[in-house]
Amino acid sequence: MIQLAALAALFALAALFGGVANALAQAAFVATFALAGLGLVLIVGQSGQLSLGHGATMALGAYAQGVLVAAGIHGALALPVAALAGTLAGIVASIPGRRLGGLFFAMSTLALALVVEEGLLRLVPLTGGAAGLVVPPLAVVDWRLHSPAAQAAVSLGLLGGAVWMARRLRDSRLGRAWRAGRDDESAAAAVGIDLGHVRMLAFACGGALGGLAGGLYAHWLGFLSPEQFGLPLSFELLMLVFIGGVRSLSGALWGAVVIVSLPQAIAAIRQAVPWLEFGAAGLELTIFGLIVVALVMWRPAGLWQAAR
Amino acid sequence: MLAQVLVGGLAAGCVYGLVALSFVLIYKATRSVSFMQGELLMLGAFSAVVLVEALGWPLWAAAPAAVGLLFGLGLALERAVLRRAIGQTHLTPVLMTFGLGLMIRGAVTGVPQATHRMHRLQLPWEQPIALGPVQLAPEHLLVILATVAACGALALFFRHSRAGLALRACSEDAGVAAILGVSPSAMHALAWGMGAALAAFAGVLLAPVTFVEPGMGVVALKAFPAAVIGGLASLPGAVLGGLFVGLSEALAGRYLPDGVKDLTAYALMLGVLLLFPRGLGEAGRPR
Amino acid sequence: MLTTILRMGLVLACALLPAMADAATPGVDEQSIRVATIQDLSGPIAILGAPIRDGIVMRLDEENERGGVHGRQLKIAVEDSGYDPKKAVLAARRLLAGGDVFAFLGNLGTPVVMATMPLIVGAGRPHLFPFSPHQATYLPLHPLKFQIFAPYRDYMNAAVRHLVAENGYGRVCLLYQDDDYGLEVGRGVEAGLRQLGTTLAERTGYKRGATDFSSQIARLRAAQCELVVLATVVRETVAAVREARKIGWGVDMLVTASGYSAQTHELGGEAVEGLYGVSVLPHPYAGKDTSRRLGEWIESYRTRYDADPNVWSAMGYQVADIFIQALRAAGPDLDTQGFVAALERLETSRDFLAGPGYRFSADDHLGNRRGRMARIVDGRWRLITDYLD
Repeated sequence: MIQLAALAALFALAALFGGVANALAQAAFVATFALAGLGLVLIVGQSGQLSLGHGATMALGAYAQGVLVAAGIHGALALPVAALAGTLAGIVASIPGRRLGGLFFAMSTLALALVVEEGLLRLVPLTGGAAGLVVPPLAVVDWRLHSPAAQAAVSLGLLGGAVWMARRLRDSRLGRAWRAGRDDESAAAAVGIDLGHVRMLAFACGGALGGLAGGLYAHWLGFLSPEQFGLPLSFELLMLVFIGGVRSLSGALWGAVVIVSLPQAIAAIRQAVPWLEFGAAGLELTIFGLIVVALVMWRPAGLWQAAR
Repeated sequence: MLAQVLVGGLAAGCVYGLVALSFVLIYKATRSVSFMQGELLMLGAFSAVVLVEALGWPLWAAAPAAVGLLFGLGLALERAVLRRAIGQTHLTPVLMTFGLGLMIRGAVTGVPQATHRMHRLQLPWEQPIALGPVQLAPEHLLVILATVAACGALALFFRHSRAGLALRACSEDAGVAAILGVSPSAMHALAWGMGAALAAFAGVLLAPVTFVEPGMGVVALKAFPAAVIGGLASLPGAVLGGLFVGLSEALAGRYLPDGVKDLTAYALMLGVLLLFPRGLGEAGRPR
Repeated sequence: MLTTILRMGLVLACALLPAMADAATPGVDEQSIRVATIQDLSGPIAILGAPIRDGIVMRLDEENERGGVHGRQLKIAVEDSGYDPKKAVLAARRLLAGGDVFAFLGNLGTPVVMATMPLIVGAGRPHLFPFSPHQATYLPLHPLKFQIFAPYRDYMNAAVRHLVAENGYGRVCLLYQDDDYGLEVGRGVEAGLRQLGTTLAERTGYKRGATDFSSQIARLRAAQCELVVLATVVRETVAAVREARKIGWGVDMLVTASGYSAQTHELGGEAVEGLYGVSVLPHPYAGKDTSRRLGEWIESYRTRYDADPNVWSAMGYQVADIFIQALRAAGPDLDTQGFVAALERLETSRDFLAGPGYRFSADDHLGNRRGRMARIVDGRWRLITDYLD
């Protein structure tokens, strides 16, 4: 409840300074990134595996969506395929985990992200390669979602559904198996948990959410190119879940608020304060760095947990 | 022709190897993977540029001074931030170094002179040197010689100096080392300082090759697989991993289809990881 | 499907234009005109974004010091996208939602431009002279999209044909950056060679940030290239030419306007002597053969920014200058429709920056298609031809 009230207050603040339409557009991006972040929370926070390539699931989801819609498939029908593409990426990413542990496995996920980026660049007939791919607005039946309000409604609706599913997963047998494996590998193995299998499922679920988020992102941007889905995106997502708190499902939402809206707030302040406007180009980077370092040092459970 | 391509790969591999060394040095002593080595490399190169261009120092003085400055920065960061990672999961240092890297990049980007144009450290001579049929650019020769020298110096340091032996002891077993009178926290600081200094060393060497600009740290993305291929815990392995990656890339760029070159490092890393989960450097050793 | 959407958008935009003339024009009042630009000041191409911004701001300030356009002061909001389209979309939406932007000027970077352009023209705001080689910035014709930067595919085509005719090369090869830039250049070179009845003898790519070009150069040399076209930016241009010269390969090389920069010879030194390049706007060199007006401009830029102007500063300045010329032509009763009509009639002449002179019309919103040949001689670029058709 408090969280909802805080979000509403932030939204009101954004609307007050940038207008309702702009606040809604921000909400659409926040919800989309929270969706992808939620997937990463399942992988990192619940199953305890570090994924450095979560952007790849978003990339495949976005391109699946973009290619299908360009081929004339209805956007609403393409979204499940986008989620499926993300799921497949997740499953592939999890395969080396059966042989590798911890950091080495994390490196293999990073390699996957690079391979996906390069693949998108090379599959010119399908993806347009470096020239990019123009994605028309999302349409639900005959209703074309141009307006920020509609974009925000769709993103928030899907995020709500995803949070509900993630809650059920967290409280299920599978969720307990994830946490058991995260907290003590050998104990989990001793009680008969097939760690490779349950971790693959975590990657599959997380990948599905990443793919779905990618599918939405494709429409909200309207233009895809492989370079948008490089390593910086994967690191941004990782930063997102750690800022929000990796162990809580709502952490993804708070992380997304910071990642999406903080630069906007800084830009708005820059416009208002003349002597800041043209100076200190790297301010956002520095502030993000400070936030990450400060949180890891003093509030390892994330921003929201800190406020409570 | 082939020899020429291999020499180019060798020089690139030396840079990868030096950065990989810095990863491994840190990893061995602190069990942390640093995600800021690229930024430290960039900052080291910029420090040298500032000393040369703004203060008018000669290159031979500016280069070691920049490396020294970054050594100090490594110590300071360890004291202020990274010390808190001791005893935490491997995620903690990953995030800390990532955040510190962002701060370094943000700070450099905020300086107009750093982003308005590229900078260069001018070597005293420019003409390529002929070695039989192979032409060697002076900056490549410098990279190769400096890598050999750095490896030699590190080997001496770890075999014969008190600090080096202590650092090694600490890496093997911090508990036993502490009983023997080695201060693990001092060694932790030393490892981060040396890791930063090595990255800066690589940055100064890279400066004549690729020029100095805020994005030059991306080379660390190639050094990382090199370190992993070498086993992440073996110093000679790191250098060999770097050379392996550099040479493979050069061959892939010459003979394989377009685009393969950029994936070579990661394809090799995946292959090595799946075949030898503990890296090539440790594959032969008994557990 | 796509063309129908575009056509509908066109009709819609045309229908909207007269409607907007009645209401107050966004970003315009009696005292001022407010515009915006989305730059990359902290991301991978900040090295271009910073001088572009400086050039634009300098031209606007100059005009303001002279009393503004028809008595209106020009104000600009500079947004930093960091080359991230998500940030750019939000920035564009924020600026548009404020209802206080007359036009967007010189946005930088293809992902940024492609993601924000539909929003900007959808809101009825002119999208002027973006720094992106994407064809969608001027084609298909849209009443609010204008471009002044000659497309790589047009001028590289002409440049390759000119050099082949001049020097009789048989085998032409391409070294390209693996992105939309490299792709556009490739299209131009291939089209030019097709007109000459040949094809590329070899092509090889690299990723932004590559450090070692020995394998690429070896590959090109093995293909016995006689002219290597470089779709590279400054750093890679220098690295590629130096690598070739180092192994004693004296092949002629031709770089696009992205490698036509004073930094190319500052960093490349002797190795890049003789390199051909294409210029769409000359580098503002200070020296004894510099015109007085250009000399003053360079001095004024130095005083303002404590840095030498480069070709990107000149481009930013040019962008703002054409905008101001169109504003002047549009007259004191400024609205979007009148501005667009004025721009469509605009024909600029060569000024002290020695740009080509830009011309728009009702059915062509690309102000220039031409570049001119240059060559590095004695450590600086010399223009060796006029603008090529």
